Amino acid sequence: MSIREELNQWMLENLTGEFEQIRWRGGPGDEDSSPELRRAWEQKFGEAGWIGLQWPKEYGGRDLSLMDFVEFNEEYARHGGPGRAGHIGETLMAPTILAYGTQAQKERFLPGIKNGTELWCQGYSEPNAGSDLSNIKTKARLVDGHWVIDGQKIWTSLAHESDWIFVLARAEEGTKGRDGLVFLLVELDQPGIDIRPIHQISGTAEFNEVYFTEAKTEADNIIGEVGEGWKIAMALLGFERGASTLGQQMMFQNELNLIIKTANENGRANDPSLRRRIAEAHAGLKVMRFNALRMLNGTQDGSTSKEGYISKIFWATWHRDLGELAMDVIGADAEIIEDELSPMQKLFLFSRADTIYAGTNQIQRNIISERALGMPKEPRGNTNG
Amino acid sequence: MPPFPFQEDHEMIREAVKGWLSDWEDGGKTLHRVAKDGHGFDRAAWEGFARDQGMAGISIAEQYGGADMGLLGRTVIMEETGYTLFSAPFFSTCVLAADIIEAFASEDDKADLLSKIASGDIIISALDGRGKLSLEDNKLNGTISPATDAVHADLILVAIQNKDNDIVLTGYSPNTAGLSVTPYASIDPTRSQAKVSFDNVSLSDGQAIGKTDETAFSQTLQIAHGALAAECVGGGQRCLDMTLDYANQRVQFGRQIGSFQSVKHKCADMFIALESARSASYFAASPDLDGDRTAKFEAALIAKNYASEAFFKIAGDAIQMHGGIGFTWEYPLHYFFKRARSNRALFTSSEDGFQMLADQIGLKSNTSAIMGK
Repeated sequence: MSIREELNQWMLENLTGEFEQIRWRGGPGDEDSSPELRRAWEQKFGEAGWIGLQWPKEYGGRDLSLMDFVEFNEEYARHGGPGRAGHIGETLMAPTILAYGTQAQKERFLPGIKNGTELWCQGYSEPNAGSDLSNIKTKARLVDGHWVIDGQKIWTSLAHESDWIFVLARAEEGTKGRDGLVFLLVELDQPGIDIRPIHQISGTAEFNEVYFTEAKTEADNIIGEVGEGWKIAMALLGFERGASTLGQQMMFQNELNLIIKTANENGRANDPSLRRRIAEAHAGLKVMRFNALRMLNGTQDGSTSKEGYISKIFWATWHRDLGELAMDVIGADAEIIEDELSPMQKLFLFSRADTIYAGTNQIQRNIISERALGMPKEPRGNTNG
Repeated sequence: MPPFPFQEDHEMIREAVKGWLSDWEDGGKTLHRVAKDGHGFDRAAWEGFARDQGMAGISIAEQYGGADMGLLGRTVIMEETGYTLFSAPFFSTCVLAADIIEAFASEDDKADLLSKIASGDIIISALDGRGKLSLEDNKLNGTISPATDAVHADLILVAIQNKDNDIVLTGYSPNTAGLSVTPYASIDPTRSQAKVSFDNVSLSDGQAIGKTDETAFSQTLQIAHGALAAECVGGGQRCLDMTLDYANQRVQFGRQIGSFQSVKHKCADMFIALESARSASYFAASPDLDGDRTAKFEAALIAKNYASEAFFKIAGDAIQMHGGIGFTWEYPLHYFFKRARSNRALFTSSEDGFQMLADQIGLKSNTSAIMGK
């Protein structure tokens, strides 16, 4: 049986009962919905062995091929599988631990990700380290066998639902920019950590501020060496462009299908201008898919192929445009809020974040022009390396 | 390892073709010559390319003497001919006509015509006469314009809709009584264009090639048009390369202009458009679609629309990034801008193409599709 068939069968049998209510839910913009049910789903999913399929067999994975993993992600999205509470752990933390972690770290952290019991979040951005990420001010110092952390992170997705956070912090006094950083793994449930939700444009709150006041983690909970934090942090971002992008695209397809259905029902499918925009959205999604296949077939070592550089700005811009299109297809009624925001209203509002987080469109253009096209580097101010 | 989805043999062809075409184009000098003589066609070069280099039969089946390298094979060729605006009828003969013949001709006609195409011994201009030519009492009347590569064609292959709404495919010698080919100067001077008029041409004076229905013909036509996406990618790549060269050497305010963020971001946008067009083009040529005509048709529509829009944007941006020099005749950039415009307007315009795609993805409409207008 192919992995697609295997998962299809399992989803038919298990995305039922109480879990019905989180079908199609929990995606970007909706990540704070039904947290308990989604955590339960993550554990059910893990128990069935669906997490970590691409990992080596010795860590409970199945060494799944790339194309099989693509199929798996597509099949999951086709069923309207709930947004995965454990996606940061599985797609970002685990590959980083597998590539750079110690044997002890692998044994300590992979099982919790694999069985869906330990959820992770990402502590990179700070109030003054957004696009200029290397301007990290959060400090970490080693005291009596523990790292002691002071500072603040922001835009931390799902911190309030997570168990662990990976933190980029400055360990060496007086260093600037990319030097002197550490990549630490920190448990969230402790007195030194205060998590405050950020109320967003969409009225929901999946992002948080995370305050560290003498927060602690064991000295061993560092990936790589002191001073290698930047390297590890960037390698982790490389894993972000993995096969899960194909699953994301299946969610996009579901959103587009809803727009097509709406346009057919309300008659706006007759409007040549909207017809063209919808057709362009469809074309864009197919292009995104093939671009991802080019990217995934090009490099498997975490380095970026040329077409890989366009992936983020392309999907972010496409998705933001899709949100605008969704509203235009509904027309004036799109202003009305029934009980809560409709999926299309959420799409419209939350997709404004897409072109900002994980590297703004402006930063993406800098990266493309400098790395893919080899143009001269941006002159830097003297606060950074 | 060759870049996905290509194989080693595609890359060997690419290398060979790239060098040959670069010599031909000679840094734009040849484009000036081809544009100046007004025909948009370099016969000697075509014969060298088609016969000596053996490129005419790249995607024609082995049994007809071709290299049988499929849609990816011709994608490589079209990308490189787009990079140099090679003024020769590869698309009209080896893609468009070949596809129509392959799909609808009898085995005897295939053996005859496809072999001649593969060996570079025939130039065929394939024309869509639907809505343009009338057929009454077996007489054809009307004008088709633009008619690409008709001026130097040995055979004019025309599709006509009869009163039963069948598509009738007929081949005419340019010397047929009542048929006239009138070249005209085109905005895009590196591709040959003409008007082809039929004045009481007897249907029976032509060679009956085949008969089919509207849907099958439209699909075949669009799949062939999809190959133009690769030409757009090649042309777009050239525009970006020229722009980067220029931005890295041009100095203003004591800096290379390529160090200014406004210029860098424009170049990044060109690259995004280019690489996504490339993905669209490769997708349409992907062997994964083999055996699924509907999927191929849709992918070709996407590729052609998407890539021709991208090429136009890239070429326009390239002129802007070059400043005044990009506006001059001497600098060859304008030829690419003009090709971008004509690719966007000809062989199913982007506007019609996106409306067809809207139909294809199930958007209901009161007014029916613009199939083969």
